[in-house]
Amino acid sequence: MSDIPGTAPRRSILGIFLRNPLAGVFVALVAIFVVSALVSPYFLTGYNMSVIARGLAFVGLITVAQSSLMILGELDLSLGVIGGLCGVVSGMLMIKAGLPPVAALALALALGLALGFLNGLLVTALGLHSLVLTIGMAGIYGGAILVLTKGVAITGIPQSIQFLGRGDFLGIPVPFLIMLAVLALALFVTLKTPMGRYIYAIGNNAAAARMLGIRVDRIRLMVFTLAGFLSALAGLLMVARLGTAQPSIGQTWVLAPIAAAVIGGVATTGGVGSPLGAIFGAGIIAIIENIIVLYGVSPYWQGVVSGLIVVLAISFDALSRRYLRRETA
Amino acid sequence: MAYLEVRGVGRDFPGVTALNNVDLSVELGRTHILAGENGAGKSTLVKILTGADRASRGSILIDGQYPLEHPDLFRKIAYVPQELSLFPDVSVAENLFMPFDRTGHGGLVNGRRLRAEAQDYLDRFGIEARPGDLVRHISVPDQQLLQIARASTNKDMKVLILDEPTSALTAREVERVFRVIRSFLDRDHAIVFISHKMEEVFEIGDDYSVLRNGELVEAGRIDRIDEPGLIRAMSGRAVQIDEHFRPDAEPGDTLMQVENLSGPMFHDVSFKLKRGEILGFAGLVGAGRSELMQTIFGFRKAAGGRVRVMGQDWRLNDPAASVKAGMLYLSEERKHHGIFPLLSLRENIGISVLSLTSGAAGIDFGKERGIVGQVIADYGIRASGPGQRISTLSGGNQQKAIIGRAMATSPRILIFDEPTKGIDIRTKAEIYRIMKSLAEAGVGIILISSEMTELRRCASRILTMHGGRLTGDFDAATTDTETLVGAIFASAPGSRPEGEASHV
Repeated sequence: MSDIPGTAPRRSILGIFLRNPLAGVFVALVAIFVVSALVSPYFLTGYNMSVIARGLAFVGLITVAQSSLMILGELDLSLGVIGGLCGVVSGMLMIKAGLPPVAALALALALGLALGFLNGLLVTALGLHSLVLTIGMAGIYGGAILVLTKGVAITGIPQSIQFLGRGDFLGIPVPFLIMLAVLALALFVTLKTPMGRYIYAIGNNAAAARMLGIRVDRIRLMVFTLAGFLSALAGLLMVARLGTAQPSIGQTWVLAPIAAAVIGGVATTGGVGSPLGAIFGAGIIAIIENIIVLYGVSPYWQGVVSGLIVVLAISFDALSRRYLRRETA
Repeated sequence: MAYLEVRGVGRDFPGVTALNNVDLSVELGRTHILAGENGAGKSTLVKILTGADRASRGSILIDGQYPLEHPDLFRKIAYVPQELSLFPDVSVAENLFMPFDRTGHGGLVNGRRLRAEAQDYLDRFGIEARPGDLVRHISVPDQQLLQIARASTNKDMKVLILDEPTSALTAREVERVFRVIRSFLDRDHAIVFISHKMEEVFEIGDDYSVLRNGELVEAGRIDRIDEPGLIRAMSGRAVQIDEHFRPDAEPGDTLMQVENLSGPMFHDVSFKLKRGEILGFAGLVGAGRSELMQTIFGFRKAAGGRVRVMGQDWRLNDPAASVKAGMLYLSEERKHHGIFPLLSLRENIGISVLSLTSGAAGIDFGKERGIVGQVIADYGIRASGPGQRISTLSGGNQQKAIIGRAMATSPRILIFDEPTKGIDIRTKAEIYRIMKSLAEAGVGIILISSEMTELRRCASRILTMHGGRLTGDFDAATTDTETLVGAIFASAPGSRPEGEASHV
């Protein structure tokens, strides 16, 4: 309280980082980047950079979707397989049904919207717990992929759309640019629009939001639907990059985006964090996975390392929160 | 020497000194009143006394020893928070004795012995629940008493700190709490009692200490001070407390008409709200007042009946539509239905004026800062700045932020549910003044309150409810308290005294 005579505010550098998780994770990202550049001569090469950026693009799209849901206080474990299913369906529409590529992509994106909407509808209309529901939905969508493909990849994706996954623009991979555009849009929505404020409010206290006249279920439905759309987009870009629609697309997109969001300061309990922090978190994971490969460490260690980062990140978060509470309780 | 001694205790937070040079002596066998406005430093002091927080300066002595060197001493101090903190889906008996090792039930839990011992406590505290009942299913007053009983199952306990133990209770239940407090004092224990209700303070207190802005301003024997003196000590100036806040203007035409409305907790309720009046609702906890209002607002589903606002049929079951049409409900559950705890004061207030501050380019932060700054100034919200997290503000300042946020939307009908629960006297008067000026500006106001004095000071008309039914309609200026209390306890004709009676 300003009217109480007291000590001058202490502003340590540590305090500033602890108070602003975004600054903290950004510094961690830069530090890991610098260390990686120092320990490996191959790290800063243009080729390696574009490999990291391209890889980050797909997980990044899911991360934007998942972190928005997490801020809202929800979680969708079926986003990865929605991406996979939409990718496979687009391949079948192009190859088996002979549709023009643009129409196939549009239909697959619409399918992503529909599946996200269905998840949201079950959560809002029946009051289901999103985590449990989407474990089930992930089983259904993942099963559908195998039923449709019988486990075999669909080959012969037209060259005309492969630039979406493989191309560069001004030396930057196209899917990475698309991810950045989506991120910019997500940041505008979360920071500058009423919808964004409502997402944070609902994540904080859904009952209070309802009392204020916010249409809580409508917002939930919208975010689930958009998350389904972004997952489909990631799946399609992956198909374009591989040139084949593989049934395994999306299998690694389940836990990594959640880990990235947590590293980036998004609380699993909702109400705080930002998609930008989540992307920083995804960047940290991507660089560390890259360094493991460059060092020739067995890829089997990747899981151990990225798990370790999550544990370290949430421990740091808990410790800093305890520190802040002692300072400002 | 006193059992609990606080000497020169101070506590600094960045930019704020929450406590400065506070002394306190609590003697066994006496009730010590800890008084102060919201934000005066009472909670900080209590946290230090219970070992939940550490002082920046000064020392505490428990039984002549330093608890920081002997942490077990903190077990001698028990704290009962204002908010209910029981396990709702666990039985009454298990709630009483958790953690089991501290209450002699360590090792394997023997259910039969647990229930037998629980019955002793229930009898002693006059709790009308069975040991096997789930806490969720017992009445709120019983839960409040159970919380006190739970603190006393700690055999080491010598000092019991009660933070507003009566805020959800009616006069009869308060008497039960006081009987319990007096039985403690016979047993060579001390009570530290925090309350904003003056009549209780003077009825139960022996000693008092007053905190203001983190400093001890006065202390002594309660029989050496009177009510205006105590209020002056807390607020730093004289506050007129017997003033009336009824709207001066005559009520206008009918604004809202409720016809035969029914829901799970109330039956067949009809009444009219006029423009510019403050319509009071009196009743016991559980009489159905909150449920009725939440149904009108659309937060709960109506079972039958209808509501008309200015002659138009009112859409039920849709709170968003209600807010849009100018009705707001301010819940008594500030924590559960009011604030967004992790967001800043600015975001908490700004959320209700987004339609004013946002356009095609998104939210105009400059405009938002302007409106929020205006609300903070108009409602005297004390904070380090609009960026402060709302959960770190005192309860009174949170409440003012919630009211200020509601006002910024210019509502036509406002429903206040216990707006001054846990709020100090000066802030109470500010809230009454706000209600009065709103009513005089033509807003229709409904005021639910358990404090008869509050209703009589603010309301133009008072409706009484019992067991989910309306039992009376009184003119506030000409009706005495006894008549109102009679209607609350359902001596009025045509009412059904059921369920409720067991809580009285």
